[in-house]
Amino acid sequence: MNKLRFWIFLMLLPTFILILFINLYPLVRGGVISFQRLTVFNLNKPRFIGFDNYRAVLNDPGFWNIFFNTCIWIFFSVFFQLVFGFILALLLTKPFKGRGFYMGIVFYPWALSGFAIGLLWSWILNGQFGVLNDLLMKLHLISKPISFLSDPSFAMFSVIMINVWYGIPFFAIMLLAALQSIPKELYEAAEIDGAGVWSKLIKVTIPYIKPTILSTVLLRIIWVMNFPDIIYGTTRGGPAGATNILSVQMINIVYYQNNFGKASALGMVITMILLLFTVLYLQIFEKGDFEI
Amino acid sequence: MRRFVVMILIGLVSLSFVFAEVVTLRVIQVFTSPLRTKVLEEIISKFEAQNPDVKVELISPPYETAYQKIYLMVSAEEPLDIVEVGDWSLSALASMGKLLSLEPYLAKSDLINHLAPGVLEAARTYKNTAYLLPNAIYVKTLFFRPDIISKYNITEVPKTMDKLLEFCRALTKPEQNQFGFDFRGKGYPTAFIDIVMTSFFDDIDPNCMYLKKDGKLIFEDKRALDGINFYLELFKTAPKDSINWGFDEQVNSFVSGITPYLFQDPDTVGLLNELLGQDKYRTAPLPIGKGGKAYPTIGFAGWGITSYSKYKDIAWKFLEFFNSPQINAFWCRDYGALPVDMRVYDIDPYFKSDTFNGWKAMFDDPQHYQFTKYPLDNEAWSEWNDLHETTMQQVLLGKIKPETALKTWADFWKKAGLGK
Repeated sequence: MNKLRFWIFLMLLPTFILILFINLYPLVRGGVISFQRLTVFNLNKPRFIGFDNYRAVLNDPGFWNIFFNTCIWIFFSVFFQLVFGFILALLLTKPFKGRGFYMGIVFYPWALSGFAIGLLWSWILNGQFGVLNDLLMKLHLISKPISFLSDPSFAMFSVIMINVWYGIPFFAIMLLAALQSIPKELYEAAEIDGAGVWSKLIKVTIPYIKPTILSTVLLRIIWVMNFPDIIYGTTRGGPAGATNILSVQMINIVYYQNNFGKASALGMVITMILLLFTVLYLQIFEKGDFEI
Repeated sequence: MRRFVVMILIGLVSLSFVFAEVVTLRVIQVFTSPLRTKVLEEIISKFEAQNPDVKVELISPPYETAYQKIYLMVSAEEPLDIVEVGDWSLSALASMGKLLSLEPYLAKSDLINHLAPGVLEAARTYKNTAYLLPNAIYVKTLFFRPDIISKYNITEVPKTMDKLLEFCRALTKPEQNQFGFDFRGKGYPTAFIDIVMTSFFDDIDPNCMYLKKDGKLIFEDKRALDGINFYLELFKTAPKDSINWGFDEQVNSFVSGITPYLFQDPDTVGLLNELLGQDKYRTAPLPIGKGGKAYPTIGFAGWGITSYSKYKDIAWKFLEFFNSPQINAFWCRDYGALPVDMRVYDIDPYFKSDTFNGWKAMFDDPQHYQFTKYPLDNEAWSEWNDLHETTMQQVLLGKIKPETALKTWADFWKKAGLGK
């Protein structure tokens, strides 16, 4: 047995080293940079400045607004992705004509790059040239164009809508796989007991795929928090910070302030928040048969 | 025997071709666009044809990430010989110590005798040393669409900011999707705001856009507030959506005629010629403001050589080739920028055409058009644009007062050591 363990360890070693190199090194390097004064003006001469970058990030007058935006962005994005993804997965479990073709179309957004989607939607939602406004006006549903991305009261709603559109296929794929693994006997037994459609959904389907739902939600929360692409391609966090989230702010600090130390500090803050959230999430839900 | 000798000779000649050293110059550009890359590749082909022992490898990162890619590549001394340097990135790149001083090459070159006024001074922005050779000049001017404005009985060119606002108001009919001013809200809108705001002054420092001649910051002057309030009025004649517009949306809006007045750089010319046609638009000098003046800045971009390049002399050869009058004419004509070599204006009548009226009038009228500079050598410059954009958007949305924005800007620059 010990020999077997040794061989397992030996086989896993290359992967372990690779993961260390790919994941751990950037994390440690990012951590070191977060304590340095490192801007484009002193790329070759960084110097340690203690917690100054963290102070700069947390004392930024807009930080809590950005944090609040991030919570809104994650909650509504993931909630609607889950709901619509689940409905779609339920519909796709039933065989119907052209199901394969339909699945291809439904899953198509997932194949696109997030930034490209952002750019695409920025033109679709454009107040002047956007096809959506044109369509709504021609249908006489609105009398003047809506500034989907330029009006702060619409902007966050708009980027969340795009993200929901983008993320539904992921939930649909994951939940469809889980739904297809439910034994038919369970439904047959439920039907014998007189369960209706709603009852079967609540008492059989959801409990059976609950571990998949929980793990997919957790994964998606982490991804959505670290997913600036759509916002970057549409509003870049504007107008006036209305759609700014932590990961977009991090990019803005790199690209527009050229301050790598401060950006790394924000990156570490994001990592800490996610770590804390993941631990709490697992604590709350691990009572069930949680699989990840 | 003779056959053997011939075979040996043929073999040796073939080997000499195989082992002949072909130098590869690695060039990276910043302002990547399909049109520009095409022109650049054509120039590179011409250079390679003249220099068969040199191969030029062009790296074209997406514009959005190009600066950062260059900063990181240069700082890590990754293989690069020629780097595109823009006016806004010059100090950052030069301060790394990875750009070669071009002064020794310039001293020996004939090019220096033909550069347009101000180009060499621009190249020497950082520590009075030329770390780049500019190949094009960028100055904002007023573009307008005679075909659109004439429908609203406007035939006059707006010579003042007030007149421009009056015309823009007359044009603004949101129900017809017709507006006046082609506004820019994101993607470095700094220069647009400054053109309007400084036009309320008559005493801007020729060496710094943000200082008055008495050395004080403009943001603490009452005239800056008037300028910002005027900018707010101008925004009312622009689509609301334009708070979220960058270059692409601006050009699209101008081309589609929704906003027939646009402040832009000459690199818009190439695009407009392609998308709209040269006869569909005109240029005019920037309108002067209440101060009786306008303060354009001379933007520039060019090529620098990395200090660690193995082929510095060949790289300089490429730079000289690029800035030769014929190539400079070809570059500026097709891409659409103002040539840096004065001979180009003589050899190519295109640059004397009506398209360039706006720039010509500004250069010929120093009384009303005083060229000035941005504090590009100040380390805070790289942080300025983000702050400027965000606070201005807040003002436009009514989230903060113009006075608050001006105070924020004044505090920022004071902290950066600018102004008395």
